[in-house]
Amino acid sequence: MPAVFAGNKCLTSDVWRHDIAFDKGRTYLVEAASGTGKSTMCSYIIGYRNDYSGRILFDGEDIRSYGDARWAEIRKRSISLLFQELRLFPELTAWENIAIKNQLTGHKQDAEIRGWFERLGIEDKTDCRLGLMSYGQQQRVAMIRALVQPFDFIVADEPISHLDEDNSCIMADIMHEEAVKQGAGMIVTSIGKHMSNLKYDYIIKL
Amino acid sequence: MGLIWKLLRQHISVLQLAGFFVANLMGMLIVLLAMQFYQDLGPVFTSKDSFIHDDYLIASKRISTMGGLTGGETSSFTSGEIEDLGKCSFVNSVAGFVASQYKVACYIGIDNVEQFGTEMFFEAVPDEFVDTDRSEWKWSEGQEEVPIILPRTYLAIYNFGFAQSHSLPKMNEGVVSQIGMTVVLRGHGLEQRMKGRVIGFSSRLNTILVPMEFMHWSNGRFAPDADTCPTRVIMSVANPTDSAITTYMKQHGYEIEEDKLDASRMTYFLKIVSAVIMSVGLLISILSFYILMLSIYLLVQKNTVKLQNLLLLGYTTARVSLPYQLLTVFMNIAVLLIALGILFALRGWYMRMLWAMFPDMQEGKVLPTLILGGVLFGIVSLMNIFAVRNKINNIQH
Repeated sequence: MPAVFAGNKCLTSDVWRHDIAFDKGRTYLVEAASGTGKSTMCSYIIGYRNDYSGRILFDGEDIRSYGDARWAEIRKRSISLLFQELRLFPELTAWENIAIKNQLTGHKQDAEIRGWFERLGIEDKTDCRLGLMSYGQQQRVAMIRALVQPFDFIVADEPISHLDEDNSCIMADIMHEEAVKQGAGMIVTSIGKHMSNLKYDYIIKL
Repeated sequence: MGLIWKLLRQHISVLQLAGFFVANLMGMLIVLLAMQFYQDLGPVFTSKDSFIHDDYLIASKRISTMGGLTGGETSSFTSGEIEDLGKCSFVNSVAGFVASQYKVACYIGIDNVEQFGTEMFFEAVPDEFVDTDRSEWKWSEGQEEVPIILPRTYLAIYNFGFAQSHSLPKMNEGVVSQIGMTVVLRGHGLEQRMKGRVIGFSSRLNTILVPMEFMHWSNGRFAPDADTCPTRVIMSVANPTDSAITTYMKQHGYEIEEDKLDASRMTYFLKIVSAVIMSVGLLISILSFYILMLSIYLLVQKNTVKLQNLLLLGYTTARVSLPYQLLTVFMNIAVLLIALGILFALRGWYMRMLWAMFPDMQEGKVLPTLILGGVLFGIVSLMNIFAVRNKINNIQH
């Protein structure tokens, strides 16, 4: 449980103060109102923050024991996080934003990445500086970036907040295809608007 | 690397880096220049005077005008006086100079034709006071060649006084050592020709020195009856600056030969000046290091979000630190190379001036300066590398 919630006696949640396990190959929807700790939970999972009580275990191993190198490896190979705040580089072009990750992992061919750009309708934006693109377009770039790495889990923190229904469906499809291909689990958070074409195995109230 | 660099070079302040570059260059140059100058100029004052150790003092009796003229007052030391000196707490060991009591003539010849000659004399001190290669500094009966140490001033007198006015070639120490010299010893009705070989020059000894063994043999042969009371004594002291020495000498009317003092004062002065200049250079280097660190810290601060994002993408701290580390190391290399370039240009210039003043001067070593430059570069670069890594490690990720 996040340290800031420690004094909150009437906290009702399926996650905080409970034992909860995420398995590979399943799809989870974490639903909650804003301020209940969705992004915080994502930060804990990716090792960005550790201001919580309780324990988080990966394959039975407490993640508090992980050092920098281990986290770098996990972020590169095991867990892909699509940040709510995207964390893209506005100075680089859309393509470079993807390349900077793909160079690290060497996971995808250019043709496949180009295919995703086309499916998401931003193929004309590859050489456009990211800072000049709309938030919705940036969300799509961020998603492609989240997919150019091997992962056991993909965690998408409010991935479609600025997308129309069509694009969010396409995005859900692509994400699902990749997760299935890798046998990975999907964890999607939402404050209401969620990828409706996905079949969720579990819906968790945070 | 390309994309990472494209990202991380954002906010690099060319002006700050140029400031560091110039400051570090100045610091490095001053440190290295002081070092090299000391290396080059040091030997001028201390050169090859290894024959007499620094802690040896030479004492003689003061000669008064009257005493000197009438001969009534002896200027030689009695064995009792030498013993007294030996008992002083500041003296480790003492021995008298033994002078030749017969006539010595010396001829310098070219192609076995004797060109010029002069009357002269020899003196000797016990071998343990002569700091030189023992294999060169030895003589045994039957050996025809006598090793000799000359005062350096003789060479100067010849070069600047005699050779100049007689249109003779100037000689340096190396050449003199190779010239054949004939020594003729006369006394007690005997005459013997021997070969002399100059093995070195001393600035501290105002005498023509031969090995003690040779002196005993020659005095015994050419002046068996002469009195050999020394006129000068050499002593090994624990601390030449001890004031007790001065007091004792004054009380007994002895004089310490201080000809070496000028050189040692100059060397001391040179050391102090070099040290001060090097400290100033180091200070500038340290300040420039701070400029660089502040600049890099500012850069890291401005690029914190980018660095954080890279780390969250799975880049390691080492990988993300690398561009800034390389930046600093490359700048340090450039500083070192340019500083060395300027240093050698300046050195060429000042060496020409020094050579004009001291034709015999040996070039100082360059290696210590190169090592110092390398060490400075190493330390500064390591500190840079460590500081950058540390700073980036402190970013939350």
